[in-house]
Amino acid sequence: MRDRAENARDRWERFQFQVAANSIAILKREFEMEDGFMRAEWQGLDQLLGDERIPDAQTALATRLRQRNAELAERIRQGDFDGEAEDALLPHLWETILNKVRIASPNEIP
Amino acid sequence: MAALAARETLGENAAISEPTKLAGGAMHDSWAADATVEGTTRELVVRVSPAGRADHEKTRREFEVLRVAFARGVRCPEPISVGQCETGEDYLVMSRMKGDSNPRQLVTAERFAAARTQLVEQLAEDLTIIHSITPGDVARAPGMRGAAPGEEPLSYQRRAVEELYRADLLNPHPAIEWAFRWLDGEIAKLERRGQPPCVVHGDFRIGNMLYDQEGLTAVLDWEGVHIGEPEEDLAWFCTRVWRFGMNHLEAGGIARREDWLRAYEHASGITINRERVAAWEVLQNIRWAEITMMQARAHLDGHTVSHELAAIGRRTAETELEILRLTGVGERVGCAG
Repeated sequence: MRDRAENARDRWERFQFQVAANSIAILKREFEMEDGFMRAEWQGLDQLLGDERIPDAQTALATRLRQRNAELAERIRQGDFDGEAEDALLPHLWETILNKVRIASPNEIP
Repeated sequence: MAALAARETLGENAAISEPTKLAGGAMHDSWAADATVEGTTRELVVRVSPAGRADHEKTRREFEVLRVAFARGVRCPEPISVGQCETGEDYLVMSRMKGDSNPRQLVTAERFAAARTQLVEQLAEDLTIIHSITPGDVARAPGMRGAAPGEEPLSYQRRAVEELYRADLLNPHPAIEWAFRWLDGEIAKLERRGQPPCVVHGDFRIGNMLYDQEGLTAVLDWEGVHIGEPEEDLAWFCTRVWRFGMNHLEAGGIARREDWLRAYEHASGITINRERVAAWEVLQNIRWAEITMMQARAHLDGHTVSHELAAIGRRTAETELEILRLTGVGERVGCAG
């Protein structure tokens, strides 16, 4: 894909091939890293929301992770993590976002 | 269509050249045409919005604000006419400005080094003029949104961004929820603003202007114009997404943030509160995160099938990281990130 971008006929075509190449690179990193990152995120949520057994199947894990994040988002919105409770929340947010960026756009991490 | 609009504007005696379509602009089609009336040729841009879209008010608003800005000396296209074709398309006829629009070339190319230095001052000067326009000066512009009387522009915009965010939410984003809490804390700490609200450009960034070797030739894309406060435009200009890779130069990839704010203070004579700009920059990054979500959603809903839009959706995470950096979370948790 990157070769095709190099040999593209014009700027538009080159851009399209570059975007496609980037998307493939993201999928590759997702395949290699996402499972570990999801497990780390689950453990972080255990600390904040209480322990819960982690689902075995990948799809069940993804679905439940989303639900738990919705719960966390709602509790942040309600003010449950204001003040000192922030000290537990912020490292989790930082690590989780950093992991997402490691997959989506690793160049953004110096 | 473009020729019709130009003729409607300049009268039956105008000789209009064959319009050529201009690149860019996802929302409208723009055409370049030359019109000759009684031996004088004017170079025009005719921007046409598709029929059926609610662009009628927006186009008139842009026309009215451009009229005032141009009269006051902002480097921008001279608005010539606004109207609606019989078939329903809204059009805006403007003078055609010279200059290059490629932002990446501007921020990186050696031959534009001098232009970059010039630009910082020129942009600060023009932004000062824009911000000197009061709501009363643009009373004829329809639908100028802004804070209600007594409400701070920052609080108003925070509310507007949150409404869009809730509407476009695909997945929960705990980091953005926390950023809204952080912002509320900062807003509560800020002193109330002394000056009355003013016109803001609304999309003032390095990709929305034309330049040449001497610097700025035109400020473009006035579609986001509304009533706000200067820090809103100053901060949007600094958001990471519009630095085109030159991240050490926070102000549009051409200057340090502090130098940009000083240039504005020098041009305007106003002292800019750094904490207020910092709060705006976080809010503007949330706004960008919201835009990346909206674009990803357009892709997933099938309105626009585009791997480019889907890839932009991936940029939500890097914007969240920037928000956590700007709010000092990286430092607090002991990572340089």
